[in-house]
Amino acid sequence: MSAVKSGRALVLLMALALLFLSAGSLEARESAWQDWDYVWKVITLQSYNARLVILSTSLLGIASGLVGTFLLLRKRSLMGDALSHATYPGIGMAFLVMLLLGGEGKWLPGLLLGAATTGLLGVLMVLAIRNTTRLKDDAAMGIVMGVSFGLGVALMKMVSDLPQADAAGLNSFIYGTAATMILGDFLLILVVTIGAALASLFLLKEFAILCFDESFAASQGWPTFFLDLAMLGLVTAVTVVGLQAVGLVLIIAFLIIPPTAARFWTHDLRGMLGLAAMVGGVSGWIGSSLSALFADLPTGAVIVLVAATIFLVSMLFGPARGVVPRSWRQARLRRKVGRQHLLRAAYEILEGQQPDVAEPIRNLPIALDSLLTHRSWSAQQINRLLRTARTEDHLEEAEPGQVRLSEAGFGEAARVTRNHRLWELYLIHYADIAPSHVDRDADLVEHVLDAEVVNQLETELQDRPSSLEVPPSPHFIDQRAES
Amino acid sequence: MKSFVDNRHAPADGRPEHPDNLPLAIHDLTVAYHRKPVIWDIELNIPEGKLVGVVGPNGAGKSTLLKACQDLVPKTSGEVQIYGAPYKSRRSLVGYVPQRESVDWDFPVSALDVVAMGTYGRLGWFRRVGKAQKRVAMDALARVGIEHLASRQISHLSGGQQQRVFLARALAQDARLYFMDEPFAAVDAATEQAIVTLLKELNQVGKTCLVVHHDLSSVTRYFDWLVLLNMRVVASGPTEEVFTRENLQKTYGGKLSLLDDVADRLRHVSS
Amino acid sequence: MKRRLTILLALTGIGRILSGCGEIEQATGTGPKEYPYQITTTVGMISDITRHVAGQHAVVEGIVREGVDPHLYAASINDVKAFYAADVIFYNGMMLEGKMSDILVRVGRNKPVHAVTEAIRQAAGYVITDESEHYDPHVWNDVAGWMKAVEVVRNVLQEYDPAHRTDYNRNAEAYLEKLKQLDAYAKEVLGSIPEKRRVLITAHDAFGYMARAYGLKVRGIQGLSTEAEAGLRDVELLVEFLVEHKIPAVFVESSVSHKSIEALIEGAGAKGHKVEVGGQLFSDSMGRSGTPEGTYIGMVDHNVTTIARALGGSVPKGGFQAWVKNRQ
Repeated sequence: MSAVKSGRALVLLMALALLFLSAGSLEARESAWQDWDYVWKVITLQSYNARLVILSTSLLGIASGLVGTFLLLRKRSLMGDALSHATYPGIGMAFLVMLLLGGEGKWLPGLLLGAATTGLLGVLMVLAIRNTTRLKDDAAMGIVMGVSFGLGVALMKMVSDLPQADAAGLNSFIYGTAATMILGDFLLILVVTIGAALASLFLLKEFAILCFDESFAASQGWPTFFLDLAMLGLVTAVTVVGLQAVGLVLIIAFLIIPPTAARFWTHDLRGMLGLAAMVGGVSGWIGSSLSALFADLPTGAVIVLVAATIFLVSMLFGPARGVVPRSWRQARLRRKVGRQHLLRAAYEILEGQQPDVAEPIRNLPIALDSLLTHRSWSAQQINRLLRTARTEDHLEEAEPGQVRLSEAGFGEAARVTRNHRLWELYLIHYADIAPSHVDRDADLVEHVLDAEVVNQLETELQDRPSSLEVPPSPHFIDQRAES
Repeated sequence: MKSFVDNRHAPADGRPEHPDNLPLAIHDLTVAYHRKPVIWDIELNIPEGKLVGVVGPNGAGKSTLLKACQDLVPKTSGEVQIYGAPYKSRRSLVGYVPQRESVDWDFPVSALDVVAMGTYGRLGWFRRVGKAQKRVAMDALARVGIEHLASRQISHLSGGQQQRVFLARALAQDARLYFMDEPFAAVDAATEQAIVTLLKELNQVGKTCLVVHHDLSSVTRYFDWLVLLNMRVVASGPTEEVFTRENLQKTYGGKLSLLDDVADRLRHVSS
Repeated sequence: MKRRLTILLALTGIGRILSGCGEIEQATGTGPKEYPYQITTTVGMISDITRHVAGQHAVVEGIVREGVDPHLYAASINDVKAFYAADVIFYNGMMLEGKMSDILVRVGRNKPVHAVTEAIRQAAGYVITDESEHYDPHVWNDVAGWMKAVEVVRNVLQEYDPAHRTDYNRNAEAYLEKLKQLDAYAKEVLGSIPEKRRVLITAHDAFGYMARAYGLKVRGIQGLSTEAEAGLRDVELLVEFLVEHKIPAVFVESSVSHKSIEALIEGAGAKGHKVEVGGQLFSDSMGRSGTPEGTYIGMVDHNVTTIARALGGSVPKGGFQAWVKNRQ
């Protein structure tokens, strides 16, 4: 599918998503919009629950954005998913241990500790598999995910069959919901966010070199295994805290979407970190605010939708790699190339028409047919090119079936042809490429050269015998058309 | 049969004693994956200040040799000494140019950022890259001729430019011994020229360079010391002594016509 | 000779098939082959009432043990075996055992498999549904509604085992008498809660029938199933409601994390109104077997007493049992 078509499809998708969002809140819209007072309270964070949720989810978004960026660069984006599966058996085990110790079993901090422990173990397993076998990260994560999930399910079944245990809802017991957060959640998230920020500040170059060139880092003496462990330990902390605060889907989305959105805007690592944090934070803020304003909007889902929308916009319009800027740049290049091809073809035809090369080339009308056969253009293409050339004042009025360059057009055609020939010469003399290959390569490359480089080429070739003002084409141009 | 293994430094009693001034001394090195030896019984003493070419057919273990010297792959047996001590304590004296395909060039960093990575080892934990490191990096970029590309994203560089970035990074490490893995692979003529010039400069100031190279036709022009490797060291010594038809045959095992041509050229060079 | 053999074999085969058919017919008509026969049920509330009706004539096995969430329960191999070994099966219906409907349909082809709510469902306007047309299956929290379930059990057993129909009738009547008293208790005690405070707030909507039967308002944070997710605005509205009506207590359940309730309490606290956790209610399952809350009557007693006490109603100290004694 071409870039333009996929762009249109995505815009449609986004529109549908927004429609869904608003449809869901249509019923309850009257309960919010009549109440501007309430809207103001939400925006200025005056209402306790909304304030707590908005601040917590924004902070979590920042932390996940930072940590997720490193994951993305380390090519382990699905680690969040693998981790949440790895926490599963830990919950069952912690429950058992707490029961055996005589307690109720469903003590949240204890369950979280169990989850974090097996989560870390899962991470270690991934690293171990990757370092000792030939399997890559994705296979290792898949293995750990499957094994721990199976283990967890078996454990849960065993636990729920115990006669004295009250294990109802244990498998999703630790999963929070974004709408119902408590002060404890906020504090945990704050701690984790500070940790992520400190790591991004003080371990930036260590993580960067690890992600970019692991063997070079190892050769410099960096302990790559422990750096990996530190990075993944941070991910585990963010994931477990996120799981219990906002639930499964949101934390996984938070770890993946902000960094991938940020990638479309920047080519710089620090910029990417900052943007990812911003996207995460903003998604959290806007998502929670929206769900605070409209009833019946599940908070976590809305945050994910906001983040996804930001991602779509980034993918389409991000200047670094967005779909739209890229296709626009390509279109611009195509136009430039087409223009230059037309002018050069015209000039070469004029050359061919003139029997004595020593005399300066004269600007005469050219038959349209000769243009058509000079390069492989269709009638439609050449008409389009001629139209463009006319708007750029490169063509003058001529008889039907004929084309005539204007003065400006003639000058430009001479310049373009000369650049092309210089480049051909350069390639031949420096690259030992057979002459018949030159035309194709030269066409592509010269359009990327600018005037500066051309001057450089000219000075280099000055002492060569072929220093005519426009050196003739070093390979034979088939002038069949000129008969 | 004359042996070209350099045993100027091998003592009489057979136990290897490595004087501290040898940049690289390898004794009885074997590296094996899955019971299949990739290189075995490597015995190599490289004198200081040489520009060493390491050549051999595909799969000869050239990359593995470089990696084994830097503890990047586990050694099955043997030891490597760099200036008389194990690699771990001599890291600051070694610079490394890995193969270009070993990284994903789509990473969001500029050429300057990558070159600055060469200074990380000296910088230490938790410190940030400062003006001093950036200056070192810019100098290195200038020495390979691409300082005007310092702020360009590395995915927007050509293959030759990327190779020069890797070289500059090794220069920024300010080492005495350089390991380079196929720096001339798939680069354009201009880059090849720039790399050779740089190597010769390093050679002049007394640095030692170990360069894995694949193109036999340029070996005599580039290197003053040659190691012929085909899982074991076939020969090691000054290029003009080692680069004979006989040794080439032992290394490459039979592509005679090509080697004849090479040997002819040699005759023309030496006469 | 060969031909005669074939005819003989064919006749034996046909005969076996015919007698086989007869066996199945026999099973549904003349009741169990031996006593006690096997009844398999799903949730504990059904097991309990079934035991009371069946008496010593049958052994009742409940698949979903106490403390387990029936909404998400998937049958294991042993559970499936229990279904196949059973002579009669009772389940709740109304999608409570959503993940077991397949197996129930399959087993229902050759033995009596009944939803205890099949009678009450016929009553006009009884069944509660939410906006998305999902049934609220928590009928047991309304004692009058659950009495209809007891009648269903009695009728099915009488049809299956006509030999003991009088026993079943007697057992059912005795039990229904107790339940009538329980119903009256609930009405009185819950009715004694001051009007303004008659609001039951829990994590998920499990008490719709109870609320309607006994004049309470009910609000759940999460919706009908334990899988739904709350919205922030809804939470805020609930907090405002709490504060406005000065509700003194909210309630947690054993099968759902207490965090959502805590959020309400913190929110109300920030607005200056102190709300407490009134107690833990049994919503989807009974308490531990062997304890009083491990029976249906005990479960309802616990719920009603806890709610009434926390919201300011007048409740006798010993709960239902004490109330019954006082009446005698």
